[in-house]
Amino acid sequence: MAISLDEVRLMIEASLPGSKVHVVDETGTRDHLRATVSAPQFEGLSRIEQHKLVKKAVQSRFDDGSIHALSIKTSVPG
Amino acid sequence: MTEPTLKDRVEELIRDNRVLLFMKGTPEAPQCGFSMRVVNVLETYGVEYAALDVLPALQPLREVTAEISDWQTFPQLYVNGELVGGADIVEEMDESGELAELLGVEQPERPAMSAKQELQADPQQSPPIQIER
Repeated sequence: MAISLDEVRLMIEASLPGSKVHVVDETGTRDHLRATVSAPQFEGLSRIEQHKLVKKAVQSRFDDGSIHALSIKTSVPG
Repeated sequence: MTEPTLKDRVEELIRDNRVLLFMKGTPEAPQCGFSMRVVNVLETYGVEYAALDVLPALQPLREVTAEISDWQTFPQLYVNGELVGGADIVEEMDESGELAELLGVEQPERPAMSAKQELQADPQQSPPIQIER
């Protein structure tokens, strides 16, 4: 079951207002995704805490099997 | 006396091993590319680390680490009792020098690094594939 990259991006942006999100399909199968997220909410958080925020935003699509793997790269807007 | 639960045992492992890796397979024979990536990074630092193969009890360990660290995918690297992250975070912190700092060692000299960068650069250098009808 595939998911649209836009849907993933919108879910993350909705969960982290003000974030800049870029989602790519790593394998061409639309279930191994890579999200690059820059969000003001990351300020002061460890990387794992930042990743948790992103993961939580799309958790429902993990749970229903739409996403198998999501690589995450986070940064605080400079 | 009550038997220690799996959670008790995992907490004890995290406490007792300064550098602990929960992984799929073993450092000698990783069963997952993400686990292998973390092993590859750790090996360059020459630090002593404990590795636990999660495959024999995957689901129970997912549940326990979800409870302890709010994270349930493997690999998971713990340093000084705290979850650092999985392959993405470990590689990022390796490249930025944060991992060396966390482990309390020098950033390793790594000729392999330039080879890796070349590898990453390669696809961009190769000419685009033309599809003709």
